[in-house]
Amino acid sequence: MKEEILKKSIDPTVHDMLAVAEAAHLETAWDRYQKQLPQCGFGETGVCCRNCSMGPCRIDLFGDGPTKGVCGATADIIVARNLLRMIAAGAAAHSDHGRDIAHTLVLTAKGKGGGYEIKDVAKLHRLAAEYGIPTEGRTKEEIALDLGKAAYAEFGNQEGPIRFTRRAPAKRVALWEKLNIDPRGIDREIVECLHRTHIGVDNDAVNLILHGLRTSLGDGWGGSMIATELSDVLFGTPKPIWSEANMGVLDEKMVNILVHGHEPTLSEMIVAASQDPELVALAKSKGAEGIKLVGTCCTGNEVLMRHGIPPAGNFLQQELLIMTGAVEAVIVDVQCIMPALGPLAGCFHTKFISTSYKAKFPGATHIEFHEEHAFETAKQIVRTAIEAFPNRMKDKVHIPKEKSALMAGFSVEAIVGALGGTLDPLLEAIKSGAIQGIVAVVGCNNPKIQHDYGHINLVKELIKHNILVVNTGCNAIACAKAGLLLPEAAEMAGDGLKAVCKALGIPPVLHMGSCVDISRILVACAAIANALGVDISDLPVAGAAPEWMSEKAVSIGAYVVASGIYTVLGIAPPVLGSMSVVELLTAGAEGVVGGKFAVEPDPFKAAALIVDHVAAKRRALGI
Amino acid sequence: MKEIFVRLDRCMGCHSCEIACAVEHSKSKTLFGAIFEHPVPKRRVYVEWVKPDHKLPVLCRHCEDAPCMHACISGAIRRTAEGVVITDEDKCIGCWTCVMVCPYGVIGRHLETHRSYRCDRCPDRDEPACVSACPTKALVYQTVDEFSANVRHAAASEMVAGERG
Amino acid sequence: MSPTRYVIVGGSAAGMAAAQSIRELDAHGDILILSAEADAPYYRPLIPYIVTQKKTAEEIALMGQGPYTARDIHVRLNSPAISVDTGARVVNVLGGDAVPYDKLLIATGARPYIPPEIKGVDTPGVYAPRTLADARSLAARAGMARHAVMAGGGLLNLKTSFALLERGVAVTLVVASPEVLSQVMEPDGAALIRAALEKVGLRILTGRNVVEVLAGPNGVSGVRLDTGEELPCEILCIGKGVRPNVEFLEGSGIVVERGVVADEYTACSVPDVYTAGDVAITFDPITGKRIMTALWTNAVEMGRCAGRNMAGHPTVYSGTFGVLNATQVADVPFVSMGIVHTSGTPYEVHVHATANTYRKVVFSEDGKRLIGATLVGDISCAGFYRHLIRERTPVNGLKAEIIGQRLHYGHFIRW
Repeated sequence: MKEEILKKSIDPTVHDMLAVAEAAHLETAWDRYQKQLPQCGFGETGVCCRNCSMGPCRIDLFGDGPTKGVCGATADIIVARNLLRMIAAGAAAHSDHGRDIAHTLVLTAKGKGGGYEIKDVAKLHRLAAEYGIPTEGRTKEEIALDLGKAAYAEFGNQEGPIRFTRRAPAKRVALWEKLNIDPRGIDREIVECLHRTHIGVDNDAVNLILHGLRTSLGDGWGGSMIATELSDVLFGTPKPIWSEANMGVLDEKMVNILVHGHEPTLSEMIVAASQDPELVALAKSKGAEGIKLVGTCCTGNEVLMRHGIPPAGNFLQQELLIMTGAVEAVIVDVQCIMPALGPLAGCFHTKFISTSYKAKFPGATHIEFHEEHAFETAKQIVRTAIEAFPNRMKDKVHIPKEKSALMAGFSVEAIVGALGGTLDPLLEAIKSGAIQGIVAVVGCNNPKIQHDYGHINLVKELIKHNILVVNTGCNAIACAKAGLLLPEAAEMAGDGLKAVCKALGIPPVLHMGSCVDISRILVACAAIANALGVDISDLPVAGAAPEWMSEKAVSIGAYVVASGIYTVLGIAPPVLGSMSVVELLTAGAEGVVGGKFAVEPDPFKAAALIVDHVAAKRRALGI
Repeated sequence: MKEIFVRLDRCMGCHSCEIACAVEHSKSKTLFGAIFEHPVPKRRVYVEWVKPDHKLPVLCRHCEDAPCMHACISGAIRRTAEGVVITDEDKCIGCWTCVMVCPYGVIGRHLETHRSYRCDRCPDRDEPACVSACPTKALVYQTVDEFSANVRHAAASEMVAGERG
Repeated sequence: MSPTRYVIVGGSAAGMAAAQSIRELDAHGDILILSAEADAPYYRPLIPYIVTQKKTAEEIALMGQGPYTARDIHVRLNSPAISVDTGARVVNVLGGDAVPYDKLLIATGARPYIPPEIKGVDTPGVYAPRTLADARSLAARAGMARHAVMAGGGLLNLKTSFALLERGVAVTLVVASPEVLSQVMEPDGAALIRAALEKVGLRILTGRNVVEVLAGPNGVSGVRLDTGEELPCEILCIGKGVRPNVEFLEGSGIVVERGVVADEYTACSVPDVYTAGDVAITFDPITGKRIMTALWTNAVEMGRCAGRNMAGHPTVYSGTFGVLNATQVADVPFVSMGIVHTSGTPYEVHVHATANTYRKVVFSEDGKRLIGATLVGDISCAGFYRHLIRERTPVNGLKAEIIGQRLHYGHFIRW
């Protein structure tokens, strides 16, 4: 295998497919990244401003050229404004996802959800109680309607608070109120970001960034949490489940359907449609042995968590999956879907099917999905996929063989269940030092870092140091592929963590779901902090995003830090043009919100930073 | 005689020099005009990237012993009185011999016109467009003496700063 | 001290480059060029433009164009040298006079090789175009011709083919090798070029030879091939390589081994006599082997070096590759240089081909040095390949970029 290919990923299926891509002259994100080099240093450092038409302006960081934009904005102002806009976009993406789930809940409650039903009534009742919605003597639909509307209202809430923010420890909430960063409404804060970054509004870097934290809190403890919680009500709260991961899950004899994107509303129905006897029969009539549904990105995680649908790869594998020539259809909704897929699918028999009115793509077949006709549309989509099967070009089929077994499904409820119904055994393990701390490793892939190298090495280092890892998103898929989501992976952990895992029969790395499900991690942190009577910022916990790339990741990083958690990024965000913003994010923030950022591309060094941090927090707690 | 020098530590990789160059070599000499012209005007400076993260603009050095000029089989390349090596597009036959012998890789091939092209130091301007466009002054237009004097001054002030601690 | 008398035999690339180079170093010497041709020195590679009538003889004249700006360079036309007396230090010119020299350059170039097995080559309409005079004659005949046959698939014949096609003459290329351009690349690389040639209307017959010229009342009326096929045509162009013009050196004491032997300072075996260009034997820096080339660019380079040596600035000539070609054939550019014929060799070869491009990169057996490259369709980075081959630079960490054709100048800077 060529060294150049080996350098791009640590995943053998990727090596295999990149060789195929090269031979077939098919372009990938890695090729396009190479063609972008060098990338503009002004953009990289965040000192390019395009917010008004007196610009675009940029700051010469060497001092010979301009030090201010036309309006007089300095590097500090421009960097802070740009960062705020990234947070706004990320929070908007997560929260709009949450809104769609609330919409589905409302439709389902009204009996207009085309095939959905309320699956977790217990959770519905718990959430209703949180919102003060009466449950006595009411049908689940009646309760769900009130809950859906209450969730809806959070988006347009003008004065706050957002209900779920009150799950945070009282000390934390008091701090947010004191700093004036307690979000008032999900949409309001996002809108205010855009207002503040308009020419001539907020020109104070600290004030801008504080609002960024407020906006992101409306994501983590608002939009994302609504997405997670209402998805559980509708589709069921995940429980431990077995599956397998990586490109080897594709089955040459089956109609392979890849679901890709983020919102479970679509994928839930695709799961149902793929099991529809009539459609299975249709698949067989076309010469296939059946229908194999696989996932990627967060949609992949959603259907894995609830149905055990195998994830076939993470973000950077989306193109490679099409290149196997064995995928009949890629069905997408929103977020992280490369527009490269359309032209690429055109080189194969693969149907690239877009479904959201919000997200259209060149080269895609658009079959618009509306919740009211969910199952019918899902069947139509699956049928389209099946009909592509006879067009498969046999000589172009190349499926890498590697796959790994995995255990997923660790919602907070499932973790508590695994612990025997209470958090106490976990708290005891933390206190005893068997588990030194808990670290969330999340985020995307990015061709700037060897694919999965950051994810896997960081996670392995952490568990070696007896740190329990919880993960979501593309990190979770990376770990699944590497066999880290297996109870046997406890062998790779330090003695303390190994013993706990063995006693409980759980992996040392717990898959908690999709990116919006990072809200589950917040809930877990809040619960642990409350149980110990401390703030989240006192806990021996940390967050990490070793291969992040999306604006959503910026919002996540911001709400994790604003929740009091130390966060290590593998890639520097575009803020290096302002030393004061850098100082604020990597040092100053700690004195304000109890959390801060660090940037460390080397996963081993990142692990060392986190291990030190966890140890320091333990010392401060006196454990 | 002034030359275009590159201060290697300054390049941000923003490609502004490339855009300014293409615009200067367009008919309209405006960005919004240039992008709609046919054939599309060509840049003669290339921002390149080297691991781990070095960025640099590369352009014709107008070599003292210009191999392209001597290799040209049609007499299209000559040196002006100002010392600039220029390609006469009317005489160029598109044989690409100059491309083959240039050790800097800075001679472009215009596929529509089938002519080679390169930096002409912007004869209509006091300062070449790339130099004017560079936001960090990574490109400077100076005589050899001026440039080396500036390098000396920079080194000296760094030393002074170093001694002051 | 009286001015040095520089005599240059031959008024083309090597001779003129030497003259220019001498003048840049010696403002006072007498520079005399003896040219056998009737035309003042011109850019020989441009003679196809005379055939197409797109350029005039003035437009392709050498003096005053490109680097040729030197003054006081005297060119005697119609003056072929018939012998050299190295004892008396004179060159005898056809017509009787003896030209004395202090420094002499042999730059008489080469002439087309006409294979003796082709019968009837004296028929009007048979060409091996080399000179401006040949081109003028061919241009005139193209006006009355409907078909031309080109014997040989080398670059010269291809260029002439294009010129004739432009003149509305139907052209058939008869190539002995399995593919065109066999001297400068292997058949897999040439396939793209052949496709481009056929696309513009050239008919190509491979694996065949012209054996006889058929004559009619107006000269050539056709050719017969070794397969027995007869092709009607009014023009036959023979492009089968060249032979050095060395006959006049017989008895001069100057060592000739096919070509004129030069040392690393371009000097001949006799003091104060130098040689350069197509007539000279030089060496290939990759293989160290003696070679002769017939390339304008090489001739200029060696001529400049000889000029410096003649003017008293000892300069080593670094030799040249046997293959060093760049051009565009129809819409397909190509570059080929160094060692490119690799079948049956132990060299490390990397080939990358797409529908429109072909790239072959050849490394030494140990993989540590680049020794050859053929680029077809996309010739970017060609200058770097030449530099690496010529300087025998160890490729070290650059290998992936070399193989991937992603070199740029930044790779050669010490950061």
